[in-house]
Amino acid sequence: MGRIPAQYLTNRLVTLGLTVWIAATLIWIIPRLSPIDPADVMLARMAAGGGTVANSEEILAALRDRFGLNDPLFLQYLKYLWNTVTFDFGLSTASFPTPVSALIAQALPWTLGLMLLSLVITFVIGNLLGALMVWEESPNLVKIAIPAAMVFTSIPPILSGLLLMWVFAAELRWFPLTGAYGLMVEPGWTWAFATSVLHHGFLPALSIVIVTFGFWALGMRGLMITVQGEDYVTLAKAKGLRPRYILYRYMIRNAILPQITAFALKIGLLIAGQVLVERIFAYNGMGKLLYDAILDQDFPVIQGIAFVIILMTAVSVFLVDLIYPLIDPRIRHEATP
Amino acid sequence: MTEVLESRAEKRRARAMRRFDNPWWNPKLFWGAGLLLGIVAVGLWGRVFWDLELVFTGSVPLKLPPVGFENLRGQAGDWATPLGTDGAGRDMLSLIVIGAPNSLYVGLLASLIGMSVGIVLGFTAGFVGGRTDDVIRVLSDVMITIPPLLILVVFQAAYGDVSLTAMALLIACFVWQSPTRLIRAQVLSMREAGYVQMARLSGASTGHIMFREMLPNLVPYLFGSFIANVTTSIVTAVGLEVLGLGPQRIPTLGRTIYEAINAGALIQNLWWWWGIPTVLLAVIFIGLLLINLGLDEVSNPRLRRLS
Amino acid sequence: MTALTRLTASALAIAVGLTAAHAQDVAREDTVIFDLDRTIKDPENFNWFTPGTKRMHGAHQTMWEPLFILNYSTGELEPWLGTAIEANADFTEWTLTLRDGIEWSDGEAFNADDVVFTVEMALGSEELSSREAATVRAQVASVTQVDDLTVTFALNEANPRFAVENFGVRIFGSFLIMPEHVWASEDAATFAFNPPIGTGPYTFTSATTSRAIWDRNDAWWGAKSGFMELPAPARVVFLETGGEESRAQLIAANQLDAAQNVTVGTFEAVQAQNPAVIAWHDGYPYAAADPCARQLEINTTVAPWDDPAMRRAVAQIIDRTQIVNVAYEGTTIPSRTMFADYGSMAPFIDAVMEAGAGLPASADVGAAKALIEGAGWTMGGDGIYQKDGAALEVAIHVNSASTEYTRTIDVVVEQLNRAGIAARSVPVENGVFWGEILPFGAYEMSYSWLSCGSVNEPWSSMGRYTVADVVPVGERSPGFNNTARWDSEGAAAYSDLVAQMAALAPTDPALPGLTAEAHSLLTEEAPFIPLVQAAKLLPFNTTYWTGWPTAENDYNHPFFWWNHTHQIIHSLEKAGG
Repeated sequence: MGRIPAQYLTNRLVTLGLTVWIAATLIWIIPRLSPIDPADVMLARMAAGGGTVANSEEILAALRDRFGLNDPLFLQYLKYLWNTVTFDFGLSTASFPTPVSALIAQALPWTLGLMLLSLVITFVIGNLLGALMVWEESPNLVKIAIPAAMVFTSIPPILSGLLLMWVFAAELRWFPLTGAYGLMVEPGWTWAFATSVLHHGFLPALSIVIVTFGFWALGMRGLMITVQGEDYVTLAKAKGLRPRYILYRYMIRNAILPQITAFALKIGLLIAGQVLVERIFAYNGMGKLLYDAILDQDFPVIQGIAFVIILMTAVSVFLVDLIYPLIDPRIRHEATP
Repeated sequence: MTEVLESRAEKRRARAMRRFDNPWWNPKLFWGAGLLLGIVAVGLWGRVFWDLELVFTGSVPLKLPPVGFENLRGQAGDWATPLGTDGAGRDMLSLIVIGAPNSLYVGLLASLIGMSVGIVLGFTAGFVGGRTDDVIRVLSDVMITIPPLLILVVFQAAYGDVSLTAMALLIACFVWQSPTRLIRAQVLSMREAGYVQMARLSGASTGHIMFREMLPNLVPYLFGSFIANVTTSIVTAVGLEVLGLGPQRIPTLGRTIYEAINAGALIQNLWWWWGIPTVLLAVIFIGLLLINLGLDEVSNPRLRRLS
Repeated sequence: MTALTRLTASALAIAVGLTAAHAQDVAREDTVIFDLDRTIKDPENFNWFTPGTKRMHGAHQTMWEPLFILNYSTGELEPWLGTAIEANADFTEWTLTLRDGIEWSDGEAFNADDVVFTVEMALGSEELSSREAATVRAQVASVTQVDDLTVTFALNEANPRFAVENFGVRIFGSFLIMPEHVWASEDAATFAFNPPIGTGPYTFTSATTSRAIWDRNDAWWGAKSGFMELPAPARVVFLETGGEESRAQLIAANQLDAAQNVTVGTFEAVQAQNPAVIAWHDGYPYAAADPCARQLEINTTVAPWDDPAMRRAVAQIIDRTQIVNVAYEGTTIPSRTMFADYGSMAPFIDAVMEAGAGLPASADVGAAKALIEGAGWTMGGDGIYQKDGAALEVAIHVNSASTEYTRTIDVVVEQLNRAGIAARSVPVENGVFWGEILPFGAYEMSYSWLSCGSVNEPWSSMGRYTVADVVPVGERSPGFNNTARWDSEGAAAYSDLVAQMAALAPTDPALPGLTAEAHSLLTEEAPFIPLVQAAKLLPFNTTYWTGWPTAENDYNHPFFWWNHTHQIIHSLEKAGG
């Protein structure tokens, strides 16, 4: 064990490629099902700003040309695929002519920082609590307190964000109201900037953590119950091993595996889910960018974000598949059934 | 003293035995189902006894508090609108009478579809393996990486609006992959288990192994997963509604919260506007959680003995 | 993977890249903080010729100055970088005179060379597609330098409104002059203009996606030449706040000095927490009017609404006061004419009202019913009019992007139903509404503000409903003009009047009379029905700064994301000293 067969690796690599290709194709087709013409949307934005638009036909033609909307569909598709592979998602229609990749590059680090932090915290806390719910040795208090805490799961993250903002930022003034860092702090590798980022990131991260840990706890609970009945746990108990040792080495270690798959899958969902939290905290990550793009019908940005999210998820799933045999010795990778 | 303790222990054992005899008589299950039925009952009761015309914009005065409270403008609550009104002049009671069962409906429908698909595909993939596994896995990999938000945004752009059922169907497209993958992972783990190997060695058919040997062992997990999926579906639906997507004209709990947030209900202290839908969502989730816990005890005698 | 790594690496580099030098600390009481309702998508780019939000984060409020500023209460074009702009007798040639002693912030002189250079740049490249550049390109035939401070413009056709349309901050922005010595060697379509310079009293310090900082330039030309004193704030910050709740919390906590639009309930709550917060009016309606008054657009090609009597009936049914009270919670006023109700529009609005050509002050359902019955409809048992077995129905399209829009239409729908017209609201998504419904005439009635345009003269709005812009349903209305497709004898008479108006200067004494005459045709045929004034409730905080524009201190309108914000910043005074 511990060595990954070449055929398995090839399989997974092909899958990864297929995933990215099919997903990229889908996100290209879907906006084209919609009757909305991005050039129209830009013109409408100018008109909505007030007054008539001079030379509207001229501008429209120039825009269509610029977006490549005059090419045959198949050619548009091929160009899109090539551009996507090279991380060129075209120009944003809402903040024309900024390249989409520049917008994403600005937003990505913030999202990665905030989201991965809260995801890791949630994962650890959630799974631990889920395990404790099932574990025989848990104090009764834990068994009662945890289901009660699950109530938080029912709160949409935007509301938890607003409530936290209300209590800890507006009333108690412990944390800043909005932004990713202080108003007058210049971004850079400085101590002042780092502390400012942590200070500002606390409430957004917390609002995500308290509404999502319940999922992990519930999932873990189901898995733990399955594991609890396994022979090796009974055996370990019969051997008289310490309960805590059994919990970590036998139960959690085995129950956590499907949760790791879920962890990789959650990354994509989380970014989509944290959109509003980023918006209310004026936290300029991918979620905020996506929210603005939705409001503006900025399809190049929506496509770019979707693709980056898809790629991140696909790569993490791929990595999990690769390390699976290393952490679960029970799985044997069979090339054929 | 010891006698008392002993008799108490005996009583407990007797109670446990009775419960053991009828596992479905489970208080958690009972209470959980009760909460969900309560939501349905509110919906039914309201449709019969309450004037649902009040759900339209401007049908009642704006921002009235529930009975017994006073808003920032010093207006007191009114029995005509016992739970208060929102910022657009709609009656909160009418909103929840229509909105709360809607959320449950979306969750149940989406997860029913998603779960059925997930069970079939997950088992097939994990047990049959090979090409079939690859196809199913690629399919679920692809679908799982597409943010539902994008699909619904485009959907709305194309059609202007979605119905509740359409939203449930769209969500179902995003909740089958998770059970598929998780069940597949479980099956992969399990097919190496002793009893399955035994069945295989004794020449049992694939169908027999899948449904007679493995399925029963997956039951507690499947039940839990189903309820978890209902929860996920509702959270997804609420998440979309809170973004201002989803059905535009049908009152839902998520959309009510969205409107409250957009109108600055927190700073105006209009707690009933966002609080009542949130409490109802909490009731739905607690109900689902209790059912989940109860089901586990029903299907897993070991847990029952523990409690 | 390597590509991803590269993307991530460049992302990190951009996010933490050392933008300029570290900002010096400026005390809060010397700083004024404005609200920004959008992300600064591209903080490294200061090329305002390409569309997008590259100006409203402070660039055209603090750094780039306009030539003139239109005063919304007097209608005067107030001189700024320019001192005068005059036309020849037939409005085909305009002569601009610049102020003496203006300098760019790098010390170079600002003069006619820069004006000619910038205008020629806009004329020369179709890729400079911002509204202001496109307008100049459409109107100007050539530009000539007379001397260091004088420039003449030859126009393609006579335009008495040339100055205000291009250089007067009529709506949002104006054509901004760029420094020739920086731009001359660059490709205007792609140049990022970073670091930017301007003639304003502030220079660019730093910007990220969520805020921009501008610091006072104590060597500003205006103070040296005696044009104006240095403004009081040492620093101006534009900060993205993220939604109504957040901006309310920020201004209540004195972390914001001027906030974007909020609802009246939020405003009252903020005021309860922080009495130093004020708005345009002291009490109701609190809000200031936006230049785009709201209206109900009617497709005049669809039966039964092709009958002017039926459209007039709808106009009679609509109760504007109820719209104000229910949909706007009292924060606006009913429209009297198609125009935005500014002091600068008073001569024209008064002329219309005196001629009895304005809108009725209150609804008259009785008169409306008479009109409908006159068109052959009879009241059915269900309270809805019927003719030949068909009910009188109408679908009203409304943009679902804002509750302001949907609520207004909900009220209208209710009023129409009560009067016997089976109306229903069809909310559609923003892009569909602007892209598919309105310009192509794919509606019966819809909510819009397409008569928007006039702020100091009547033609800009009235010129949008002439027969010249009529296209069949299914074709795009040019520039969103006459989407109602109003094309009747009345429309032709109206178009003739408007054509006469087009040739008159805003101050021409004949203009009010013509306006009243044309407006009476609009009221008679009702291709659209004006509803209410658009409201913007902008909270200003007087804790650190006083001198904000209000109805009493009406030096200009309060829209601080517009180019005229120079006036606001110059008017600010430190509170309590």
